[in-house]
Amino acid sequence: MSTLRILHSTRYAYGAPAAFSQHLLRLTPPSNAEQTVLEAEVTVSPHPQERAGYTDAFGNALETATVTEPHETLEITLRCVVERLEREEPMLGASTPWEQAARMAMAPAGLEAALYAYPTPLTDADAEIEAYARESFEPGRPVLEAARELCARIHKDFKYLPGSTTAETPAGASFAAREGVCQDFAHVMLAAMRALRLPCAYVSGYLRTLPPPGRARLVGADATHAWASVWDPSVGWVQFDPTNDMQPGADHVMSAMGRDYADCAPVTGLVVGSGGQMLSVSVDVASLEELEAERDAALIPDPADAAPAPPAPPLQPAPIASSPAPETPPVNDPATGAAARAAQATLHGLSQDDTPPDDDV
Amino acid sequence: MPAVARLEEDLRDLFAHYSAHRTDRAHDEALDGEGGLRPHWRGLMDWARRAGPDGYEAVVGETRRLRLESGVAFDPTGGADVAAAAADAFPVVISPEEWAGISAGVMQRARLIEAALADLYGPRTALKEGMLPPGMAFGNPDFALWRTGWPEQDAPWLTLYEMDLARGADGRWMVLADRVDAPLGDGWMVANRVASSQSFAEPFLSGGIRRIAGHYQGLQQLLEEATGLDGRLALMSGGARDPRYFSHAYFARYMGAALIEPADVTVREGGAFVKTVEGLKPLSVLLRGVHSHHLEALFQPATATVGAPALSLAQRAGRLRLANGLGASAFAYRAMAPFAHALSQFFLDEDLRIADAPCLWMGDPAAREQAMDEPELWRLERISRGPLQNRDAPTLIQSDRDALAGFLRRHGERLAAVATPPLSTTPAWRSGALAPRQWMMRVFASLTPGGWSVAPGGVATLVEPGCAPPPLGFGKDVWIPARTAEEARPAPTLERRLARTHLRRTGGDLLSRVADDLFWLGRTAERADVTLRALRGVIDRMVSGQEEDDSPEVLAAILEIQAGPNDNRAGMARVRDAIARLTSDHHEPMGLAPLLGALRRTGQRARPYLSEESWRSIDRLTTDTGWRSPPPPQNASALLRLIDESLLALAAFAGTTQENLTRNHVWRFLELGRSIERGLSFARAAEALAGRRNEPDESWLRAWLTLLDSRTAYRTRYMTVPAPAPCMDLLVLDEHNPRSLVYQLMRIEEALNNLPNPGPRRSRELRLAMRVLMDVRLADPEQLAEEDEDGRRPALSALIVDVRAALAELSDELARSFFAHTQAPSRVGLRGRLEG
Repeated sequence: MSTLRILHSTRYAYGAPAAFSQHLLRLTPPSNAEQTVLEAEVTVSPHPQERAGYTDAFGNALETATVTEPHETLEITLRCVVERLEREEPMLGASTPWEQAARMAMAPAGLEAALYAYPTPLTDADAEIEAYARESFEPGRPVLEAARELCARIHKDFKYLPGSTTAETPAGASFAAREGVCQDFAHVMLAAMRALRLPCAYVSGYLRTLPPPGRARLVGADATHAWASVWDPSVGWVQFDPTNDMQPGADHVMSAMGRDYADCAPVTGLVVGSGGQMLSVSVDVASLEELEAERDAALIPDPADAAPAPPAPPLQPAPIASSPAPETPPVNDPATGAAARAAQATLHGLSQDDTPPDDDV
Repeated sequence: MPAVARLEEDLRDLFAHYSAHRTDRAHDEALDGEGGLRPHWRGLMDWARRAGPDGYEAVVGETRRLRLESGVAFDPTGGADVAAAAADAFPVVISPEEWAGISAGVMQRARLIEAALADLYGPRTALKEGMLPPGMAFGNPDFALWRTGWPEQDAPWLTLYEMDLARGADGRWMVLADRVDAPLGDGWMVANRVASSQSFAEPFLSGGIRRIAGHYQGLQQLLEEATGLDGRLALMSGGARDPRYFSHAYFARYMGAALIEPADVTVREGGAFVKTVEGLKPLSVLLRGVHSHHLEALFQPATATVGAPALSLAQRAGRLRLANGLGASAFAYRAMAPFAHALSQFFLDEDLRIADAPCLWMGDPAAREQAMDEPELWRLERISRGPLQNRDAPTLIQSDRDALAGFLRRHGERLAAVATPPLSTTPAWRSGALAPRQWMMRVFASLTPGGWSVAPGGVATLVEPGCAPPPLGFGKDVWIPARTAEEARPAPTLERRLARTHLRRTGGDLLSRVADDLFWLGRTAERADVTLRALRGVIDRMVSGQEEDDSPEVLAAILEIQAGPNDNRAGMARVRDAIARLTSDHHEPMGLAPLLGALRRTGQRARPYLSEESWRSIDRLTTDTGWRSPPPPQNASALLRLIDESLLALAAFAGTTQENLTRNHVWRFLELGRSIERGLSFARAAEALAGRRNEPDESWLRAWLTLLDSRTAYRTRYMTVPAPAPCMDLLVLDEHNPRSLVYQLMRIEEALNNLPNPGPRRSRELRLAMRVLMDVRLADPEQLAEEDEDGRRPALSALIVDVRAALAELSDELARSFFAHTQAPSRVGLRGRLEG
């Protein structure tokens, strides 16, 4: 059992004041069999004119926040304390044969799981991914045992390479390149399982990173994390983390569950404004004990703290993402403005996907 | 073999070649099994016989003319689709008894889809009881999962429903497709009926054909009730590039709905609002012509169109009625077909009245086997979106069976195998005679205060056997003879309806996006005008042969007000280079090539707000083939002719907007664009031409006068060679010279004075305009003409700098005050992931 404090902050700085912004937030973690949320608070600054909360189709807590007054920055911060509970590890080898699990998901009683059994645009499988899955899913093999092996193979066969993919990279592309980040590892696992129509969910969350021995904890250098959850008709959902080849434990905190990243994105939205955007995200996950130790240490300043430690291997992979968005063309110039709007029209002109001309369905 | 034996003597000529083309035993709409004419066709055929081939061709010509006319009026490109207008127009007549059955079947289908959607997004009983396999919901990308679990909605899922319908060769009707996500083909239906009822007026009237206006009145009444007194009714189209724009524009006008695009809407506090120059106006009913997956910016950002609002928030709050609801796509196209019989029993406890054309859901392993075993019978389509668009998409026939089986296993839930059996035939007009052709039709249903109603008639098209239903367009009108006097009674005409609804609901609103387009249309037209005038002034002087006039330096300086300078060339080469760039270089910002392109684009977008004559001037100018490969600078006379024609077209455009646009906001934004641009180009010219050191003033001043089209005015007033002070007076300060600087500023002030201003004080832009107008009015011509020891005119320069800055600021202020809403929201978030 451990108690973790999470700070997750998303900050937009706009090139020119934004007139309006509307966001969808999936930040508040759920309480469930593996974790209890002791406290959670999402703050939005500047103060949004409207805020409303829902529960989505996956059971995630969802919020909309709308700022209708001009603003130059927007900061969304989650602060929460979550207690991780002990859970008995299921006997993977005693789970249901996978063919039977797939059949049971398709039966009316498996409806809640069937939601996760079909490919989405980000988790579509091609023949290669299906073949890759079948190497682990030999006839009659227990579904969780095969899933555990698949998780280990992805960890072994794929290279963890930040920057090699984007948030919109589909599983097929990262599979072909055999590289990506946690989101891609999870998507590949989902695509493989779903190629066999086995229910498998995307789980977004946080992972506490441990500093190398003798080093101080780096505040804000943690990352959002993603892994997968596999359904067995008798055991229920069991989580696997292909990025770290492990079953999530005391350092994992789940924040949302869905079919893929798009269902779980912590912050999405729209902004109306003519300038570009600069985005910075920081995440900090720490155990309460650590925080207390740090508070004590702060009383005796240690010069070694001043020099940032180098990022350490696998378990804490990510640097802070800070990607400037491309400039939006100014609307009040006909040369670029009109072209930009023409481009918009093309985008909408139904060529974005392959919608046919009279697709009035 | 059907014979003409039973066909009445007098019709034999008309059907002379008909039977030779008929397939054995295939049902024919006009002739029965023995070759006799079905009685409900009698009126039309008698008329056709009397008209004869020549008379019929005349009617065809009239139909085509009427179709083109409506195309010209509503097609944003202005070029009506000639091929579409030529589609076969010989009507299809369906007996009242048959129609009663069809109509009941269509309404049943609408009720069935409504019930199925409400259940799928609500209690999911069909899924829970195994009536619908889970893959049909969760494996279908058009199932909007984010829409589930909402509080119960008052508004129904469907307000509009369209069905593609055909009769098999065996005489039985079958459903080819359900159109429920963004139907709105009604514009075609009405336009088609207007054309056919006029050109075929005689048989239409004498045959007592049922009108469709009553049906649409019912829909309108429903929408009015939902709109309420303070609300707004709008029809959302994908815009001018949407292939269905014609139908959208036409139907919006017919229903008195404002025609809007996704970026015109914003959602605040659970309500949807239209962005107008007078601020945000509440929108209460939206006829949705844009697909669900293009329209939900928060939950489906990956497929949302640029500028799409978060419409779901308004729908969820129950403050916006959508026709049809977002997510209706789950049972679109063929998605209902494989389960229609069972679901009809399940939800309605009724037998399905019209069965579906054969359709296998590829999520079912047995169905996959069947399709692969009979590859010649089936074609693959996307189950809820129609034909596969990807050229590499597999066909059942060509694919290698193992690869195909794998493909279907991995993607089957999204696909259907569809077959179209042989269809019945109907008379089509082919080279002077009637010929039997396979056909299908689209029928149109909607909710009315009394429940579902079907427009009596439809749009029929000829089809190639075995193909997907073609896109909707002009086609054969479908006629249903009335059985009773009640059915035959005409409803109020289109014109009366237009007048009534248009005044009440859409008169006042000018969309911010349109205001932006009008402003830039004004600016672009003026830019083109300035470039053309610079070219004409220079080429005139090149050919005039006067020593002091054709100094290359003067000529190049005039041109380089518009074109970027080219210091690599000198003398006449530099002049010719600038001419060539201004006439044909696409990368020269003030050159004609990009300007005419921009003029056409802004013109097209603003077109619904312009008069027909205004649009035609733009159309003529921007399609002039002369500018596609302009004559070289050496061919001065040809170039001059082209320039003069273009200047005339621009003058005609300016004139018609003056004449024909009532002095409303539309005109004001156009006027503001034009005046601001003219003021700015004045400033550019003044900086380039006035007060240059060691130059004979006369030549520069003459160039300036020419550029501002004020040479004649100067000559008649002063009867002398140009002198600095009088020039300053005429060009800067003369309030009666429409090309003078002060004149532009006066117009700007006047237009701004009449624009909406929410605050109690004068708006920022108005105060700015008033100040700069006062600065210019107070200037003294003698002082402006004064030179310093370097030959410069410091007073003029100072004034120009002031004016230029003020106008640029004014343009920005206008954008902030009126067009800010037009900025399309951009997506955030997806980029902002951390890589864990």
